[in-house]
Amino acid sequence: MGEEQVVREIGHDEYDPKGTLALIGVYFVILLVMWVFMYFVEFLGNELTVV
Amino acid sequence: MSEALETGTPSFIDRFPQEASVVRASLISSFIALFLGAIFGLIQALHRTDVFRFLDSQYYYTVLTAHGVLMVVSFTIFFLVGVFTWATVRSLDRPLVDIRYTWAWYGLMAIGTLMAVVAILGGFVPSSDISADVLFTFYAPMQAHPLFYGGLAIFIIGTWLAGADWFRAWYAWKQDNPDERIPLQTFMVLTTMLMWYIATIGVAVAVVVFLLPWSLGLLDSVNPLLTRTLFWFWGHPVVYFWLMPAYMLWYTVLPSISGGRLFSDPLARVVFVLFLLLSTPVGIHHQYVDPGIAEGFKMIAMTNTMFLLLPSLLTAFTVVASMEHGARQRGGSGLFGWLRALPWRNPAFTGMALAGLMFAAGGFSGMVNAGMNINYLIHNTIWVPGHFHLTVGTAVALTFMASTYWLWPQITNKPIFSRPIALTQVVLWFVGMALMSNAMHVMGLFGVPRRTAEPQYQGFDFVASFGSITELRLQLALGGTLLFLSTILFVSNIALSTGTPRMSGLGKQLSEPLSPAADSPKVLDNLTLWFGIAMVLVVLAYILPLASIITDSGIVDPGVEAVPMVVDAANGLVSISAVSDAASRVVAAIVGVVP
Amino acid sequence: MNIHNYEKVWLMAAILLIVGFISTVTYGATAVGVDMISDDGGTVNASALDEDPRFSEPRVEQVGENEYEAYVIAQQFIFRPDPITVPANSTVTFFVTSPDVIHGFEIVGTNANAMVVPGQVTELTVEFNEPGEYGLLCHEYCGAGHHTMEGSVVVQPQDEFTQGGDE
Repeated sequence: MGEEQVVREIGHDEYDPKGTLALIGVYFVILLVMWVFMYFVEFLGNELTVV
Repeated sequence: MSEALETGTPSFIDRFPQEASVVRASLISSFIALFLGAIFGLIQALHRTDVFRFLDSQYYYTVLTAHGVLMVVSFTIFFLVGVFTWATVRSLDRPLVDIRYTWAWYGLMAIGTLMAVVAILGGFVPSSDISADVLFTFYAPMQAHPLFYGGLAIFIIGTWLAGADWFRAWYAWKQDNPDERIPLQTFMVLTTMLMWYIATIGVAVAVVVFLLPWSLGLLDSVNPLLTRTLFWFWGHPVVYFWLMPAYMLWYTVLPSISGGRLFSDPLARVVFVLFLLLSTPVGIHHQYVDPGIAEGFKMIAMTNTMFLLLPSLLTAFTVVASMEHGARQRGGSGLFGWLRALPWRNPAFTGMALAGLMFAAGGFSGMVNAGMNINYLIHNTIWVPGHFHLTVGTAVALTFMASTYWLWPQITNKPIFSRPIALTQVVLWFVGMALMSNAMHVMGLFGVPRRTAEPQYQGFDFVASFGSITELRLQLALGGTLLFLSTILFVSNIALSTGTPRMSGLGKQLSEPLSPAADSPKVLDNLTLWFGIAMVLVVLAYILPLASIITDSGIVDPGVEAVPMVVDAANGLVSISAVSDAASRVVAAIVGVVP
Repeated sequence: MNIHNYEKVWLMAAILLIVGFISTVTYGATAVGVDMISDDGGTVNASALDEDPRFSEPRVEQVGENEYEAYVIAQQFIFRPDPITVPANSTVTFFVTSPDVIHGFEIVGTNANAMVVPGQVTELTVEFNEPGEYGLLCHEYCGAGHHTMEGSVVVQPQDEFTQGGDE
């Protein structure tokens, strides 16, 4: 199966998960935007304020 | 998968045949529950959307109770005990202390499930007074037959004994390895079980002290707010009981399958300790719009819940970093290009990766659910099932199914029957869930309720601010149908795998983490310390709200009468012939739909 | 303990996000003034609602200038009163309870969303603006007829309300 096709070994000190940082950065932005939309537009913009 | 894999590593069943039997039995029980639960899920998806109805709507709630209990009690927890037995024995590299004890707890779990399921299915038989049309949450004063509560109690006791079994194995290992760090998989098993012991206090008290005696007529009344609060004491941490085995697989198996190594063992330990500490003192976030609970307690639950996001957010990083490591070891390069170097044709990999991706979305809807006042927007709407079908329904369920493709050969010495079908299955699940859950989230925002057989009302229409309700209903029905087909593919593939020829060489090694356990402070392994702190946090979160409920409305509330949830003959279905009528319509429907 | 720098960055970002969520919710609670349902409604004898001055006759009652109280019973499988009629531009405090099982109370398409527990009184204050009509439904399974449990909330222009009276 697939997992045997390792072409090079990468050790602890040589590895910087740049791709992960980039992806998680995108996720962070999505979370931020979605939260602002959900809270301020959907929720606070919804009818009938509960006080 | 007929290529021989010839690492020459002995497989798990070679080394530990007795334990492998228990693991297999647990997994098979799990998949039977999944299969039955899926049938009920399909019925619901078609019924509530008005695409196809063959049952009287009152039976929808019997179906819904069965679907909930089979999926989130039986399917998930039987899988957990199987995979935790495998993980403990494998990582300690020694057998369990007494296999008869092991079979005993498995037997209790099986008996408990059977009792509860019989009670629930009794709801389809109007002439019987055995029923449990109370849903997974069994809120008093709706009352089920004692068989239901008794079954649940016995099942939970089985899980407690299972935890003790793994602790015993660890103690035995510790005598022989006094200065070693706890192997990571065992660490995860033990911290999860400690979390479970704390969490089940709530539901055990609710069921054993109140609901079971009440259903037997030994107690005249219960306080519905009290039992509901005790339920949710357990009802939130149970989701971590579902998630933590999935996380264990993401942390300890997925990196190897990706061709790489776990990015950080220490951080994995920190994450599991955080779950032990924070999973339980948050349950009141399921009661944000309940009466009888002061706003201050809801605020505390909200803050604890928001911090409970942290271990999951950390997991996202560590797991993706481990996959990236594998991709780059496989020759991948570039900022995003490495994604293509991952083993997408391996169904175990693809299933787990898609499960993780879906969890990222489910995590977001969970953040909304946690937001105290924003809960007014979505409480008890179908947004909530939309959320949990992404989390337990995919992050957990799809990971369990995907990891089975990897684990099954090692506990049977038989390869999986068909890799292409397995790969199709995991992708189909993802697509079906994307459609169904998206429809649920959107309809929830328009106010469509959950737990309702016919969300089509006389006096008003739901207003869709984008799309249309009709479209969304069809989308939900379609998604649910695809999920059912995916379940069939999974169950058949595993069933057919019992007939493949026995082989050797199916053993698999797991890679070593990039950052080993030794890099972390020993205090992480101090389980007593973390357990103690967890108990303190739970007491702080719950003592005042519970005391306040008891002072205000009593430990029991004599003003509230029991409402036995038995199908009411007066509502129209009075004879067994009506049930067999319905049954033959089910058969006709299935035969008609499947050419 | 050795944590990679990138993961430290993410840890900071994650904590920021969490604090951000908590702050938003706090803003909603304080600046916008959205209160959560609490224990202010008190308790009640679920078997003796007909002896309670509020619930023996479910109704809407004026208690101040533009201030009203609505005493509502949620039971298998109706809401009382039905419809619940309130005037436009008013503040209405709902007191909701149940004589039988747990119900839900959702004014459809709005943020008015609550649980109704027998023995407890749910107190929920809502501001109504323009005239119109809302659906009301029960969103917590309460028995075989749960899906038929609906009502409505009718917001009448002020003058119509004073003349028509409350039911």
